[in-house]
Amino acid sequence: MTANAAAVPVRGRTFACKVNEVAIGQPRIVAFGRIGIGIFQLDDGYAALLNICPHRAGRLCEGPVCGTTRPTDRAEFVYERAGEIVRCAWHGWEFEIRSGKCLVDDRLKARTFPVEVVGDDLYLELGR
Amino acid sequence: MFIVDTDVHNYWSSAEVLLPYLEPYWRDFLVRGEKPGPAGSFPHGHRPWLHPEGFSRHDIRPQTEEDNYLIMKEKHLDLYDIDVAILTADEPLEASTLANYHYANALVKAYNDYMIDWWLPKDRRFKGSIIISPTDPHGAAAEIRRLGGHKDIVQVLASHGSQRPYGDPFYHPIFEACAEVGLPFAIHFGGQGGVNHNAIASGPTTYYWETHALLSQPAMTHVVSMISNGVFEKYPDLYFVVIECGVSWVPSLMWRLDANFKALRKETPWLKMLPSDYCRRNIRFSTQPLEQPQNVKHLWETLEHMDGQNTLLFASDYPHWDFDAPTNIHIPPAWRDKVMGLNALEVYKRIEAPAASARVA
Repeated sequence: MTANAAAVPVRGRTFACKVNEVAIGQPRIVAFGRIGIGIFQLDDGYAALLNICPHRAGRLCEGPVCGTTRPTDRAEFVYERAGEIVRCAWHGWEFEIRSGKCLVDDRLKARTFPVEVVGDDLYLELGR
Repeated sequence: MFIVDTDVHNYWSSAEVLLPYLEPYWRDFLVRGEKPGPAGSFPHGHRPWLHPEGFSRHDIRPQTEEDNYLIMKEKHLDLYDIDVAILTADEPLEASTLANYHYANALVKAYNDYMIDWWLPKDRRFKGSIIISPTDPHGAAAEIRRLGGHKDIVQVLASHGSQRPYGDPFYHPIFEACAEVGLPFAIHFGGQGGVNHNAIASGPTTYYWETHALLSQPAMTHVVSMISNGVFEKYPDLYFVVIECGVSWVPSLMWRLDANFKALRKETPWLKMLPSDYCRRNIRFSTQPLEQPQNVKHLWETLEHMDGQNTLLFASDYPHWDFDAPTNIHIPPAWRDKVMGLNALEVYKRIEAPAASARVA
């Protein structure tokens, strides 16, 4: 986890990291005080999730970024949503990176944070 | 709180760590002989179910052998303030799947020496398990007698996959040795391949998660077998510890056993108590993977029927994918001190009790 020494809030935003420190499929975990947040690059932008899984408090963002199988009616394995899912590093539960929604339990949602790109910098809205 | 974690897997990055501990004859087997994977893989007959994501937590990524300890220390022992961690090995349990029991004996012997030499001195919190291959009970008994006096060894451990139910008199030399050196006999989920072809009742399942959910099946057979064959009459002080086999099945099995015994006790006249009495006196169960019903009260009520307050031992199964964190285990609050640590002191006599002040805190 990268310690974010320069976590200075600017008009409700907090600097997270440089854009080149995150790559598709390779999130960066940034520390804000005692909490860690995973910053993900997706095809169409960025997303951020609290690195604490709502299932059993595992390190959600340190698991593999991957796709999953579409529900089907027969033994057919349709791989979809490649790069849009993170599997919690501990127990493997699947979460949508953009929304934080848990695929197997509607009641669970990982906490998300809006990400803003300013030049080469990524900012998070940590408030709320 | 005093925490004894009864299932901590001390990984290696390569089974070649065993080379210095193998006799030359067996070293050649590990160096030049066929292995189930590339150099560094541990000889075993693999189970026919492959975990689709791999066994380990994805945030545990050792690069060197030393990392296996350093990461465990940081992400588990220190993080949760664990007082005692009972090392339960990992791949060495799979030696029980090999047909060549001489080779299996050599491998577990090398592992035990490596564990005592490399792991135990690293951390005062570590306690070791003597891994045995049950395919040769007399060889296993010799290994138990060889190392059973070590002050930091707290149990004898075998895979729950086996060729016969463990109460079978075939295995009694193992229990005789355990009783002699004063160590519990424990089984841990594993050894579901090779010569242990009875891993799943009715025949092999298809999917990994399906199979894993049935991890209690062999444990049920072993528990019943140990009781009915009179192991606990023969060795009344012996503790049998069932690790990583689930727990909520125990009460219903005991209800059934007690009912059958009352009708047909003439078949096993050596038994002096109800099956559930032996279970309560001699058998302990590790919590992980603790069942997760929607309403936790349903679990708690079930666990009351097995006197869970006194028969459960906390286990995390670090660093596996079905890991239970000490901070996130759903047991009744009033049981916590006992289940998290104090019960283990009754079973593992060589673990030092915490100072009185620590107990209160």
